[in-house]
Amino acid sequence: MSGKSRDKHKSINDGKKIGDKDTGLFRLKKMIKKEFRLLGTDKMNLLIALVIPPAVIFLFAFMINQAGETPPIPCVVISSDSNSFVNPNSYVETTWDNYTFAYLDAVDNHTESLDLLAFYNTSEEVYAMEIAREQLLSGEISIIIVLNVEFSEMIIGGMPAFIESVPDSSDIMNIQTNLNAVADSIAAFTDLNNLTPQFVYNTYEEFSIPSEYSFQYNYNITLTLSFIIFGISMVLTILVVVQEKPIPRLLLSPAKREEILLSKYITYMMILAFQVTTIMVVCLMTGLYCRGSLIQLWIALYTVGMTGLSLGIFVSTLSNTKTEANQLFFALFIVIVLLSGIFIPVDAMPLPLQIFAYILPLSHGDPMIRGIVTKGKGFFGFDFLCLMALVAALILITFLIMKRKRYEV
Amino acid sequence: MATKNSELSSSEIKISVKHLNVGFPLGEKQIIKDVSFDVKKGEINGFLGISGAGKTTIIRVLTCQIPKKNWEGEVTVAKISPEKKSNHRELLSKIGYVPQLENLNLYYDLTPMVNVEIFASNYGIDKDIAVKKAQDLLSILDVPEDTWYNKTRSLSGGEKKRLSFAIGMINDPDILFLDEPTTGVDAAKRYDVLSYLKKINRNTGTTMMIITHDLEAAHICDTVAILRAGKLLEYGDPKGLISSLPSQGQIARLTIEDLDRNKINKVRDFAPVKKVMRSGNEILEVFMEDFDINLSKLVEYCIHNDIKIISLSRDEATFRRYFQIRIKEEEEREQRFEQGGGH
Ligand SMILES: Nc1ncnc2c1ncn2[C@@H]1O[C@H](COP(=O)(O)OP(=O)(O)OP(=O)(O)O)[C@@H](O)[C@H]1O
Ligand SMILES: [Mg+2]
Repeated sequence: MSGKSRDKHKSINDGKKIGDKDTGLFRLKKMIKKEFRLLGTDKMNLLIALVIPPAVIFLFAFMINQAGETPPIPCVVISSDSNSFVNPNSYVETTWDNYTFAYLDAVDNHTESLDLLAFYNTSEEVYAMEIAREQLLSGEISIIIVLNVEFSEMIIGGMPAFIESVPDSSDIMNIQTNLNAVADSIAAFTDLNNLTPQFVYNTYEEFSIPSEYSFQYNYNITLTLSFIIFGISMVLTILVVVQEKPIPRLLLSPAKREEILLSKYITYMMILAFQVTTIMVVCLMTGLYCRGSLIQLWIALYTVGMTGLSLGIFVSTLSNTKTEANQLFFALFIVIVLLSGIFIPVDAMPLPLQIFAYILPLSHGDPMIRGIVTKGKGFFGFDFLCLMALVAALILITFLIMKRKRYEV
Repeated sequence: MATKNSELSSSEIKISVKHLNVGFPLGEKQIIKDVSFDVKKGEINGFLGISGAGKTTIIRVLTCQIPKKNWEGEVTVAKISPEKKSNHRELLSKIGYVPQLENLNLYYDLTPMVNVEIFASNYGIDKDIAVKKAQDLLSILDVPEDTWYNKTRSLSGGEKKRLSFAIGMINDPDILFLDEPTTGVDAAKRYDVLSYLKKINRNTGTTMMIITHDLEAAHICDTVAILRAGKLLEYGDPKGLISSLPSQGQIARLTIEDLDRNKINKVRDFAPVKKVMRSGNEILEVFMEDFDINLSKLVEYCIHNDIKIISLSRDEATFRRYFQIRIKEEEEREQRFEQGGGH
């Protein structure tokens, strides 16, 4: 019997010595094969490595190519170019000189880069400038165009006419675009009316920062503040549920799932308060000029941080492995940054992307924070409510997932 | 003796399982089939069975981890039924659980004492009391005092296991469940682990239910259950089970030259022989009634029948042997049943 088994052994190896392929190249080839096998066992990993990058670029291209023309810049025109007099019946009447209407026509119908929202006549509307400033502050318009006293008379007299404009300098990236649009309208106006272009064009920036602060620094820090807060709060929480191995064991004591989750929220909300405070202090120390109140800024930053925190815990609860959580974080973060509105204004995106972008936190967080820092607005408003709704929805879904999640020891 | 125990009243019963069926879904893929047993207060109960028999499934039912839709039967643990969801927290507060893998039970980056504190707080136990209790338990379990305040990660495997036991005991549980407590422990230490469990049991009187496929564990068990393919084959104290073998577990082990089927049948024909099992090429194990009287007669019988005995030893069956015999019997019975059904 033992003889038989020896025969069998021989036939398996076909007379060859075992391990005669023992060369470095052979091993290397097999190891590479092993790596591919291991790669294949983690489908999420593969998906993120192979599908996400082209998908993101596709999204990016779609966003940029399908983006409508940059939407026209909303503006108001204020004119002081009028002769008002008190008529015998004792009411204020205005007579309009020709060129104000001609200019309005040029802006409204012949300048594609401008969108005329309103026209105020200073002799009828004493508070025209204040109203326009309010609109600038609220973001409703991006530039105020002012036609000065004797605008038409100057033109008729063949002298240079005065046009002034007040662009929203809180939207630093777009100041030049705004000014260019006004220049467009002047060009259209001279063309249409056969005038020799003789204009004095002055600009006054509204909400610009005081001269002792660095423009460059403020420009960049305002742009990145919401991203920093969102990023750090998310990255801190991305593993908190998925990496806690003893959770199933905790569940075999009277501990409740909700308690486990709630304790995480509370802890990380406390840490977030600390993070927001330190970031704010450092920003102020290094020269951030905040037009709005610091408490408002703190609340706004905290709200943006809450979205990062609740998204982090959500991903962590959803994921089954640490790798999965990390990769989901990466994929989500790219998409959220991409659709935040800093590359392309959300309003210029194709409609489906717009809807999606408005669900994401940074498309609200960024304008909210910039509004406080550069315009002195308050945190409360549509953007804030959207963020709170997002946080509430994420927390609710996370608790539901936790409730249904299978934990076994 | 059995009557005496049951007279000790049913208040002493810590785990009661009657006609338990488990299936995923219930009624179709039956994993546990009509299992009934009781575990009394202060007992160590061992659930033994080969892999996939359903041991973990039973313990999951007892510890509220399987939804009611997947099981039926009358089950109480510390007099509380895991049937109702509203009972779960009360039930869980009365039991301790030691999972198979330490990393599911311990926060490796925290110290043993902090681990103890974390788990104790879930039972509403204050830090001071928890630490006091932990010190007692860790001393009983010989976890060196200088490790108590180091990172748990730096403990040896055996120390982690014992810390795990201590945490399982932190709430003075009515019942301590242990999942494979000796798996992954090397053969020499396995005995240590078991004797620590016995020590806790003796010192605290805690009822224990151990699931394991380590048959050595039977040494410390007051009752053992043998589970096979979801059915309870045997339930009782290990000594009693062994002595239920023919000849009270006495075995004659014969080494026979050129052992073959004919020779085995010949031995089987010897009247007092109850059971014959081949264990190896030339070795035969024989169970007989009136063992002491018949042993020499067996030798004579063999000589008379031209069966050449090379050596003969007399042995007492271990629990391991008992388990193998019982499982084998069951397999044979099943085969016969299947063949019978085929004709
Ligand atoms: N949730 C489930 N759904 C479907 N089948 C399950 C489920 N849980 C367990 N089983 C099956 O039930 C059978 C018994 O599993 P169980 O884990 O109880 O075995 P065990 O005796 O503990 O085995 P081991 O010693 O290997 O741990 C296995 O065949 C398993 O595949
Ligand atoms: Mg098991």
